Amino acid sequence: MEKKSVFKRFLYSQKAAPYVFILPFVLTFFVFFAYPIVSTIMMSFQRVAGDNTTFVGLKNYKTLMNPVFYKSLKNSIFYMIVSCALMIPIPMILATMLNSKHMRAKGFFRSMMFVPALTSVVVAGVMFRLMFGELEGSFMNQVVSYFGADPVVWLRKPATVWIALFVLCLWRWTGVNMMYYLSGLQQISGDLYESASIDGATSIQQFRFITLPLLKPTTIYVLTISIFAGLAMFTESYLLFNGNKSPNNVGTTIVGYLYRMGMEQNNIGIGSAIGVLLLIIVMVINVIQLALNGTFKKGE
Amino acid sequence: MKKRILSSILCVMLAASMLVGCGGGSSDSGSSSGDDAAAEESGGGEDGMTEGKNTFVDGGTDLSLWTFQELHVGFYTTMADLWNKENPDNPINLTVTTGESHSLQSKLLVACQAGEGTPDIADIEVGYYGSFLKDGYLLPLNDVVEPYQDEIVMSRVKMYGNEKDWYGVDFHLGASVCYYNMDIMKEAGVDPATIVTWDDYMAAGKTVLEKTGKPMCAVETSDLFLPQLMMLEKGKQYVDDSGKPDINTKEHAETIEFIREMIKAGVCEVAPGGGFHTEEWYGHLNSGGVASLAMPLWYMGRFTDYCPDLKGKMAIYEIPVWNEGDTREVLQGGTGTSVLKFTEKEQLAKDFLAFAKLSEEGNKYEWNELGFDPIRTSLWDDPEITENKDNKFLQYFATNPFDIIKKNGTDLTAPNIAGGYSATYSVLVSTTYANAFEGDLETPAADMLETEQATIIYDE
Amino acid sequence: MQSKNKVLSVLLFIFFAIVIAITMLPLILLLASSFRPGSDLMRYGLNFDIDWATANMNNYKLLFSGQNNYFNWYKNSLLITVIQVVLALFLSACVGYGFAMYDFKLKNAAFACVLLVMMIPTEVIILPLYRLIIGMGIMDSMWGIMLPYIVAPMLIFFFRQYLSGISKEFLDAARVDGCTEYGIFFRIMVPLMKPSFAAMGIYQGMSSWNNFLWPMIVMRSQSKITLPVGLQSLMSPYGNNYDILIAGSCFAIIPILILFVCFQSYFIEGMTAGGVKG
Repeated sequence: MEKKSVFKRFLYSQKAAPYVFILPFVLTFFVFFAYPIVSTIMMSFQRVAGDNTTFVGLKNYKTLMNPVFYKSLKNSIFYMIVSCALMIPIPMILATMLNSKHMRAKGFFRSMMFVPALTSVVVAGVMFRLMFGELEGSFMNQVVSYFGADPVVWLRKPATVWIALFVLCLWRWTGVNMMYYLSGLQQISGDLYESASIDGATSIQQFRFITLPLLKPTTIYVLTISIFAGLAMFTESYLLFNGNKSPNNVGTTIVGYLYRMGMEQNNIGIGSAIGVLLLIIVMVINVIQLALNGTFKKGE
Repeated sequence: MKKRILSSILCVMLAASMLVGCGGGSSDSGSSSGDDAAAEESGGGEDGMTEGKNTFVDGGTDLSLWTFQELHVGFYTTMADLWNKENPDNPINLTVTTGESHSLQSKLLVACQAGEGTPDIADIEVGYYGSFLKDGYLLPLNDVVEPYQDEIVMSRVKMYGNEKDWYGVDFHLGASVCYYNMDIMKEAGVDPATIVTWDDYMAAGKTVLEKTGKPMCAVETSDLFLPQLMMLEKGKQYVDDSGKPDINTKEHAETIEFIREMIKAGVCEVAPGGGFHTEEWYGHLNSGGVASLAMPLWYMGRFTDYCPDLKGKMAIYEIPVWNEGDTREVLQGGTGTSVLKFTEKEQLAKDFLAFAKLSEEGNKYEWNELGFDPIRTSLWDDPEITENKDNKFLQYFATNPFDIIKKNGTDLTAPNIAGGYSATYSVLVSTTYANAFEGDLETPAADMLETEQATIIYDE
Repeated sequence: MQSKNKVLSVLLFIFFAIVIAITMLPLILLLASSFRPGSDLMRYGLNFDIDWATANMNNYKLLFSGQNNYFNWYKNSLLITVIQVVLALFLSACVGYGFAMYDFKLKNAAFACVLLVMMIPTEVIILPLYRLIIGMGIMDSMWGIMLPYIVAPMLIFFFRQYLSGISKEFLDAARVDGCTEYGIFFRIMVPLMKPSFAAMGIYQGMSSWNNFLWPMIVMRSQSKITLPVGLQSLMSPYGNNYDILIAGSCFAIIPILILFVCFQSYFIEGMTAGGVKG
């Protein structure tokens, strides 16, 4: 009885409370993240085969030095860079325009822009796969034929595959990023613009010298999530090609290759090695990001 | 206000959808199983589309089976009912689950890897089979196949394993033939019966192109039927005798160069959709966009299902060969059904599998319902089968497939799917053929194959 | 000046009307196509050439006929989404509150872990995670889908951000009044966090409802899979399921749309209040 109440008193103390509050995270972290990360690292040095698992040193990493892996790495990085280049300026400009005091029906447009993000990637994938079909009657081919061009085999040529992937990305995420920018814009005081316009600054100057610098925290945040989402892109490609099998690997990403090795061809060791490499890339970018972030803070 | 109305309308729709959803589910489990055990087992999830069960019997042994093809569900459940009729002392309660092919087979592979969660029996597509064989996840079926061995084409069985141990049984023989669209052939004035060699085929193709403006044939970039056929005729496999990937061969390069020649001459096109199992292709085929197609006999079902407009216009002839007198007897594609080593009902699963796939009843069902050329030779001479006027496949085609099967005999060349075949297959259908036939027609095939060979990851 | 503003606002309006038209186009295309036979779409392409004379509700009739697993998947997805949203909101709010309101040993290290989990693509650890789920015996169950993500780092991050705007003196006052640590959280904080709950509810609802890769790997039985996974399985080259695929895809957007329409004003308020600072 005595013991229980001591325990109870401890549990209710101000010292113990924070640990109780963060306990759910700590538990899931150790079980579902820390252990798998360690396990991935270990398996990347093994040939995994049930009871006959053997240590193979760096063999898995050496195996990875092949053109397909390089290609998937290149694809992922290219996708990441271009998607960042698209997904920051476009939503930012749209948000600024939407935030303009001359804009009517803001709420309506804002909600409509967000709707694509609500659709499942599966639905979006099916839709885009059919829209970018190679048939003459497929929507995109009707569009290009309207401009007098011949039908295009969209999903089997590298250039057009990228167009499809970026259109899909723009379509789904513009509304979301715009929302982030809108909330960033709410935090900029209207007085700044008023005094600027009294000083005779044009709208473009206002954007350049007030909006852009003050949106920096939002931009950093959007950039961060875009980088990680870009690097981890897989599902979009999986659905656009109805399986992890784009012709000539035009749409194979790092994660796609990981999935192929680990889940499809049962080379878990090699799959883990890809995972470790991806982890390292993410960490490096993270460190760079934090460093830049820090310098930004000093500058402000 | 408007928003309020919209959202309440949507809410009502959602609520309605849930009611319908639950209602549909429960009424279903009541009607289709008719048995408490079944309802208990699946919690009302069974229905025609993605899960099937036979009529459950009290005291029956539960068996589970995975397949990626909905049509196979009816086959297995019918055979399970038949089994129960013939073996009342040892009945089975079979649950068949289907799903999308790629994800289902990846799931199966990972379940095997973990040694847990596999079904007792599974259909495994030929392209994936090697992965399962390589790590010994399957049980040999010799003891249950042996009683049938004189009545069936053994090269189809030995293909799933080796001379000594047999691990899988297929649905069909899968003999490759050439399907000709007779409307186009007649318009061009070419008689398919006169086409013996690939050179003849090429010459005929040029005539067809000239007279009708249509390509003679198509090649896939996301599968390998045409090049594989040509390779097998040359007696060459994609893996060497020890199972190592071996695609950088003289024969392979010759095959690719020949197909490229056809493409450059306009005789061959890249299949719309990239493969012979895409909707784009079915539409193209059905509208008479291509004059001929070399595929195994099991492809007949695709014609009857997807090409209604070609009924009576398609004729089946033998495949062309490289030199006159070469073998025209090649097996392709297929699905090996195997018993997983993790099963606890080994003997029953094996017995049922052999019964379903190799018995006369099973083969009749496969032919009549699914259009699969029977693996049992006894059926080839049964006029009730070969001359059946009501059979939709015999009705559809202008020539009788059994003529070719009988002529070919039982000594057929099957693909070697051992060892690194799965890894090889995955590279061939994702990069090699996409490159060779669509991306880059100029780089010499031999150089291309050298690079491709290097990208195959085969971990012995 | 006045007229110039008017022109500007008309131009802006037209511009956004065009943007919205383009944004909505694929969805309208999908909706319109759901009245055509599925095989037509595959053969002749997804486009606006709709012959209204032959357009019909057959796809929807098929969808509602109970001849398929569609509503079973729908039910599974709804169930998983609701449970996951409730649990994730509650647990993540607790954790976020712990981080925002207390100082304790290893706090920074623990928060770094939150950020780490946020950054790591799930796909990196998908293989060991899969084996872990098998080991725990929750394969092919909805707990297998939910448990690893039951505490969502994104939510923790957001709640921490949101709560850091609330003065800690407030807490001390409550303590003086005799509230326990947990009482403060439940009685005082939870009501204050309402707008952020709405925002994160939509966020979590979206990701649970639309989650694809992990549920695809965890679920084995066809009767237990979720809607996105089920829809994807209809794209099999061996079956002719396009009728249900298109109609089913349209119908799949509805619940999340309702959630959004009902809570969208809170959503924006919550997002803004939480603030997104790098």
